[in-house]
Amino acid sequence: MIVAENVEKRFGETLVLKRVNLRVEPGEVVTILGASGSGKSTLIRCINGLETLSGGKITVDGHDVSTKTGLVAARRASATVFQLFNLYPHMTALQNITLAPIEVLKLPKAEAEARARALLDRVGLSAQADAYPQQLSGGQRQRVGICRALAMQPRYLLLDEVTSALDPEMTGDVLRILAALAADGTTMVFVTHEIEFARHISNRIVFLEQGELIVDLPTAQFFAEDGGLAVPRIRQFLSKMKKD
Amino acid sequence: MRYADFTPYDIILLLQGLGVTLALFIGTTLIGLAIGLMLAVVHHYRIPGCRPVIVIVTEALKNSPVLVQLFLVFFGIPAFLHIRMTPVEAATLTISLNTAAFAFVIFRSGIESVDRDQIDAAKVFGLNRSQILRLIIAPQATAFAVGPLVGILVNQLQVTSLISVIGVFDLTKIGNILNLRTLQPFIVWAVIGLIYYLAAKALAHVGGRIEAALRKSVKWGGI
Repeated sequence: MIVAENVEKRFGETLVLKRVNLRVEPGEVVTILGASGSGKSTLIRCINGLETLSGGKITVDGHDVSTKTGLVAARRASATVFQLFNLYPHMTALQNITLAPIEVLKLPKAEAEARARALLDRVGLSAQADAYPQQLSGGQRQRVGICRALAMQPRYLLLDEVTSALDPEMTGDVLRILAALAADGTTMVFVTHEIEFARHISNRIVFLEQGELIVDLPTAQFFAEDGGLAVPRIRQFLSKMKKD
Repeated sequence: MRYADFTPYDIILLLQGLGVTLALFIGTTLIGLAIGLMLAVVHHYRIPGCRPVIVIVTEALKNSPVLVQLFLVFFGIPAFLHIRMTPVEAATLTISLNTAAFAFVIFRSGIESVDRDQIDAAKVFGLNRSQILRLIIAPQATAFAVGPLVGILVNQLQVTSLISVIGVFDLTKIGNILNLRTLQPFIVWAVIGLIYYLAAKALAHVGGRIEAALRKSVKWGGI
């Protein structure tokens, strides 16, 4: 379980996250919605320890990410897919995926490669195993990014606007893969602007507004007239996103 | 045969001078690259108090004449610390540090050329500092650095000629001796210049081969 309690994050004078509380149970898909700059990505970066908290506490399966040993364990339990892929450019797709399993999980190379090839096959990239990121399209790079995360067999998958840098066709490819993962019961924390998709795969939707988590509702209720839509800010956000 | 004529033995003298020049060049290059790399890594990890010291010292070394540095080391340090220093020791120390200063700047740029985002990814996947340095930063920084390093080293090879001034018997010093004996400066210095030229070309060629090999093994589309 991922638990965020009264999480605060400050960049200089600006309070980016204000007393955010969030729980993600194993098997859940939780989508974080909110306008740009509302703190969604920062929250993900606090969970995976790329940002240090200014206040509050985050635990992943009980491991406190603000302690050194806790962070190691928390990072072992989760894996992140990034908006801009963040692949290692000097390594092939296969090497990108096997690096952490070999170096961190200490898997034998052959086993790590077999695991990576199976994942690449699953996302339709078996033929690109030996290609370098530069030789791949954005959508293909992001699929490699997803394989890299899955190769760690994480309990939690953190997805930080993973389709924002992709064109609509590539977005479709990536979303289909995520839908399949959700159907398999993969636990996901999903920061996105793909509202319809979020509605389709999420158990819960939380809404961040200027660093405050103002709504946390089961998906159906979030989109109900007497639920999330009753909050003016959310109604405004959703209608604006639909227009775009 | 007059005393002032060129003799076959002069070729051996030239080769000896070339040997001294190359030995000193290779030695100072290895020491300089090692120190430069170490400084770049220390700089990268922001070890408290080290950054300003490294920057000030390397800036001083890069922006003052090597001949002045050589005089400071050969005449200044022994006088100040009351120690004895041979010309070869002074030459090795001076040129090693000078090479280190330039190597530091190139290695630092190489390290900084590696995108922060990749390092974030590596951290999140649980790689520790030394794994990130070895597996993510080093290969990319090296491919970035080889070209500029070869350029600097070709220059440092020429700079070694300055050590003849404090009495090291390098190629330039041999040229001086031959010149004084034969009084044929045009021939002597043309030959000496040609030997430096050929050595520099050979070095650039080897460097180019190394760079090509590195880029082949990391054949991603440009850095």
